[in-house]
Amino acid sequence: MAQILVVDDSSTVRDEVAGFLKKAGLDVSTAVDGRDGLAKLKADPRIKLVISDVNMPNMDGLTMVEKIRGELGNKTVNIVMLTTENSPVMKERGKAGGVKGWIVKPFKGDAVLPTFKKLCE
Amino acid sequence: MDSQQAKVQVKVLVLEGDAQHAEVLREFCESKNLVALTVQPESLVQVLRSSIDLGALFLAEDYQSHGHQGPALAQELHRIRPELPILMRRVPGGPELSASHLRVLRHHYQPGDTESLAQAVRECLFSLVYPESLVRGIGEVTKEALRGQFRDVSVMAESPFIVRDRIIFGEVYSLIPLEASWCRGYMMLQMEEAGLRRLMMHQLGEIEVEQRDSIRAINNVFAETTNLIWGAFKNRFISYDDASLSKFTQVPIVINHPQHYISFGSEDPQLCFRYHLFDNPFEQGEPIEVHQRFVFNLSWSPELFRENESSVDSLFASGDLELF
Repeated sequence: MAQILVVDDSSTVRDEVAGFLKKAGLDVSTAVDGRDGLAKLKADPRIKLVISDVNMPNMDGLTMVEKIRGELGNKTVNIVMLTTENSPVMKERGKAGGVKGWIVKPFKGDAVLPTFKKLCE
Repeated sequence: MDSQQAKVQVKVLVLEGDAQHAEVLREFCESKNLVALTVQPESLVQVLRSSIDLGALFLAEDYQSHGHQGPALAQELHRIRPELPILMRRVPGGPELSASHLRVLRHHYQPGDTESLAQAVRECLFSLVYPESLVRGIGEVTKEALRGQFRDVSVMAESPFIVRDRIIFGEVYSLIPLEASWCRGYMMLQMEEAGLRRLMMHQLGEIEVEQRDSIRAINNVFAETTNLIWGAFKNRFISYDDASLSKFTQVPIVINHPQHYISFGSEDPQLCFRYHLFDNPFEQGEPIEVHQRFVFNLSWSPELFRENESSVDSLFASGDLELF
């Protein structure tokens, strides 16, 4: 059972982020796109934090966020976007959907680890 | 990247046998930010057939190579590299050029007429104006993205340059659309597979690279590198208020030639059709195959699928003129 779900279509990013968080002692699972992320979150109620990309095939990250809050009715899971996107419009959409934080890639694990740990409490 | 490095350069091949004219051209090239390359006449064809990136050929009418000279040589060069503009210095009093010769020349000029030569260079090599801040910025965001992706590597950028060829460098390349009010096109990233593997070894170590499904891992790293640069480009150069900014997501398309591999960023199946074409009416002999594939990787909602009735009718009416 995982505390953190990393959603990214890039296996490079999934391996990098999940590997870093596992080394830091956190339980991590991964999903390959928004559709997969939604299914994994539904199946694992222990997930406290979702770290997700925006641009992904099948279902993008922001649509996934809206479905987590809407379809799944999950209002408590913390969501942080990890993406190359930096558009205020997208950030606004994420904020409206209940996104807690926004990180522009590349991933700098040491800088965000304390916050991630807090969001898992 | 300083402002000197941000200036776009073009490599040109100078085929000139006369030392005095060669010197004039050398000075001309220097003043126009052209990098003048020379070649031994006996190696000319070999050099052109290699993947050397070039913007144009400067040819003297009296230059000889492989038994050809002047317009006949221009025709031969055009046959090998049809995309390269040929700018020919005429020999005073030389014969009139035929229509077939003129077709392969972008420009011809008399010795000393550097004004018309400069005009031709402007038209055929610098027809698109690239703002200096764009050129410099691309170099900056790309270097940062490469350093972010391949940690502990040092990245050095050459001066940017322009080519007119369509030759692909290396075996692995990616494509991703760029859309804004001021541009629509693609960014391509091209690498040699061995180089990419070396970078991964440097970062992860040989054992870890081999433990992973290395072909997929290599292509994934390449796709993510493309994604990082693309994101940085958009964040720096495409206005967030741009109405033409695509509202749809994009992912890089990665092609790896040696592995016969193409990735659209997902594990979606592809809908395939195969056609056999016969070049004789009896459908005999080895058919020529055409493969057609559809991948709906960015979005797939079959429940919304509808066929246009008018399109079905048009299958029978194709070729008809519809007057309004």
